[in-house]
Amino acid sequence: MNLSTEQSRRNFLRTLAIGAGGMAVLGSYGFIFQEESANGEIKAIVVDFTKCAGCRTCETACSAYNHQVEIDGQLMKGLGNPDLSNIKVWHYNPDVDIPVTCFLCEDAPCIEACPIAIDPVTGRKALYRDETFSTIKCDLDRCIGCGKCSKACHEKSGGVIFPNKETGKPERMCTLCDGDPQCVKYCPYGALQYLTITPDMPLRNTSPDKIAEKMIEQYYQGY
Amino acid sequence: MKGYNGIILEIDLTSETINKKQIPEEDLLNYIGGRGLGMKLLYDYLPEAGVDPLSPENPLLIMPGPFSGFPIPSSSRTCVVTKSPKTFPLSKKYEHSSTVSYSNMGGFVGPEIRFAGYDGLLITGKAKKPVYIFIEDDVVEIRNASRYWGMGTDKFDKYFIEDLRDRKFESFYIGPAGENLVPYASVINTAARAAGRGGVGCVMGSKNLKAVAVKGTGMPTVANHKDYLDLLEKARVSFSEDTDNRKFWRDEGTTGALKYSSDRGSQAVKNYSEGTFEGIENLATESARKKIWKRDFACFSCALSCTKSGYAKGAYGTMVHDAPEYETGTMLGANLMIDSLEGLAKLIFVADDYGMDIISAGNTIGFLMECYEKQLIDKDFLDGIDLQWGSVDASLQMLHKIGKMEGVGKLAAQGVKPLAGKIGKGSENFAIHVKGHELAAWNVPAYEKTGISYTTANRGACHLNGGDISEQDGIAIMDSLGACAFAEGWYKDELHYRHFLSALTGLEWSEKEFDKAGERIFNLEKMMNYREGFDRNDDILPERFYTNKFTMGPKEGAVVDREEFKNKMDEYYEARGWNKETSRPTDEKLEELGLGFLT
Ligand code: SF4
Ligand code: SF4
Ligand code: SF4
Repeated sequence: MNLSTEQSRRNFLRTLAIGAGGMAVLGSYGFIFQEESANGEIKAIVVDFTKCAGCRTCETACSAYNHQVEIDGQLMKGLGNPDLSNIKVWHYNPDVDIPVTCFLCEDAPCIEACPIAIDPVTGRKALYRDETFSTIKCDLDRCIGCGKCSKACHEKSGGVIFPNKETGKPERMCTLCDGDPQCVKYCPYGALQYLTITPDMPLRNTSPDKIAEKMIEQYYQGY
Repeated sequence: MKGYNGIILEIDLTSETINKKQIPEEDLLNYIGGRGLGMKLLYDYLPEAGVDPLSPENPLLIMPGPFSGFPIPSSSRTCVVTKSPKTFPLSKKYEHSSTVSYSNMGGFVGPEIRFAGYDGLLITGKAKKPVYIFIEDDVVEIRNASRYWGMGTDKFDKYFIEDLRDRKFESFYIGPAGENLVPYASVINTAARAAGRGGVGCVMGSKNLKAVAVKGTGMPTVANHKDYLDLLEKARVSFSEDTDNRKFWRDEGTTGALKYSSDRGSQAVKNYSEGTFEGIENLATESARKKIWKRDFACFSCALSCTKSGYAKGAYGTMVHDAPEYETGTMLGANLMIDSLEGLAKLIFVADDYGMDIISAGNTIGFLMECYEKQLIDKDFLDGIDLQWGSVDASLQMLHKIGKMEGVGKLAAQGVKPLAGKIGKGSENFAIHVKGHELAAWNVPAYEKTGISYTTANRGACHLNGGDISEQDGIAIMDSLGACAFAEGWYKDELHYRHFLSALTGLEWSEKEFDKAGERIFNLEKMMNYREGFDRNDDILPERFYTNKFTMGPKEGAVVDREEFKNKMDEYYEARGWNKETSRPTDEKLEELGLGFLT
């Protein structure tokens, strides 16, 4: 099931290369997330928008893993309610589907916008970058639910944070599934990959609306 | 019951009342969901036989199944169920005698209905002005839709979501054809996914209902969580394998059938007078891939992505949401002798934009082309349209007329049976319908099972009905679960549908009980038709298939043998446990199926 074997990785990179050559659309868009691994290489989840069929399987896989349930004392994956997913596939007419999850922006406008003072001991605001996977996390005890992080993310990046309806505290930040991204694992079309990338790739931190515009231009002459 | 929300959302547009109604567990057990449960509700809600399908009393049901919303691969389907505005018996028992209707659509809206907390929507009444229904979990509102009235489905799809200001909403809607009460108007979702057949969009239009928008945040619970997860994992693994079957759907979708069917002499060509189309290469996969297709897209949680979208260039330049697939490519292509791919794409776009059933529309235009060629009608009859075989422009003009219910379009909108009644002069012989419902893109003469599928379908001629009893009952089950027929091949043995349903509900569904449920649903539909006055005399093939010989292709010379077909039908009724003379299910059969209330 997991497609990240050496072979499929090479194929995937080849598609990327074609994309850069201007034949296919991909390549240029789509870093969903980046992470610096121990040897300094950056790993990211990359979307190949030419392969995404908009099936939303990724949403259900993400939700099932990140919202586990206890059954007879045993922790199991949940049912996969897509509303709880950290990756969201946005659909547009003309037909394009744009999967977006936290980009892990280097400048993290969400953290920037967080008004809670940096804790001198941990060096963290209420919203902070976790060391293990460089993911964005929220200290629910310190967070006051002001919604500024969400607003910043929607204005300056992918618009992935949605505040909890009751508490206003940020949700839907990608966890990278403890290093085994479920969206990548279960995408039936091989549209998502967890890859080593170079940091200068374009169109990061981009809103799905803008990405959709590009895709529509490319596919349907802007119809 | 686990696996279900247990609730039908009832909306009456006349009184503007909204009611969340508990579904009796017994009905879930007996009719499963989707098409089956929809039929039971239709039976319960129709006050009596003979109700005018376009009256406020006729309920419109939007029915996802118990699989819809769970990420069980390829289970996004939703059935629209209502009393048909499109069918007639030979001898009318009531002024408004008609069959049941059910039409199936994929996409995302069915799952979303389940996320919002319902197992279906039941819409009755008629709004005073055009409205749409807004559903966000518990919040249900009837809202003004005047500004959308008259809008084509493509434009509507774009504007509506902008107005809702939240792309998480899913919706279904009608186009001008539904508003204008074209009897074969369709219901559309996600730009061009259609519940096309049986006039469901016409019923929606008769209620002054333009659209339903729905968004939900919940999900039904399941009984055996672990079993369910295990089954899901296995299903996903089996779908991820690059089998030929999966490749077929991904690479070609149903478009692959265009050439396949033409090559085996089973395509509807030139108003069904031929089974093979010489120009098929121009319309088929390779051509579409070269000229139009840009991407594949899938329904909710589907690994097959049979839908292909793109852009057609040239004089007929058009957005292509999903074209050509087998039915649309045949009915507006081969059946009209049209071999221009871009022209075909344009016709499909326009028909979808009006929100009309492309099968009935293509069949009807083909019929008129033949009448025109045989000089049974003249140009005046056609409002000056030079309706020659193969003409894209003339066909386009016809679609506009039909969608607007203007001039000859008003007649053509009624379909081939009423048209033949008006034109006469022997045209009945090549009016290709069963019970007033036009046949689809699979031609009959060389393939007897296709004939059975058409004659015995409960919504009138239907290519998705199944050619024998076990197929028919099996399809009734799939339509009731929310499962897509294209993925059936994966759900065998340890992945059989019944295991999923058992895990969801916690009830052990035996193979026998499962098959029986399908039979029960089919018989309920049959009885509803029977009480409207449909009997064996209505289960007949168009005369053409007995007399017209194909002049080319592998099935050259093929016709249906009248006597043989009659015998097949005899065998069919007997095997069904139905009375051979009348086609009525016997009381014993009904009792056996738990349908004693119909005896
Ligand atoms: S699972 Fe893959 S193909 Fe499906 S929506 Fe997600 S990224 Fe796209
Ligand atoms: S701004 Fe949004 S996309 Fe960027 S790191 Fe923060 S949460 Fe992620
Ligand atoms: S990596 Fe995990 S948490 Fe992040 S989007 Fe994918 S599935 Fe969701």
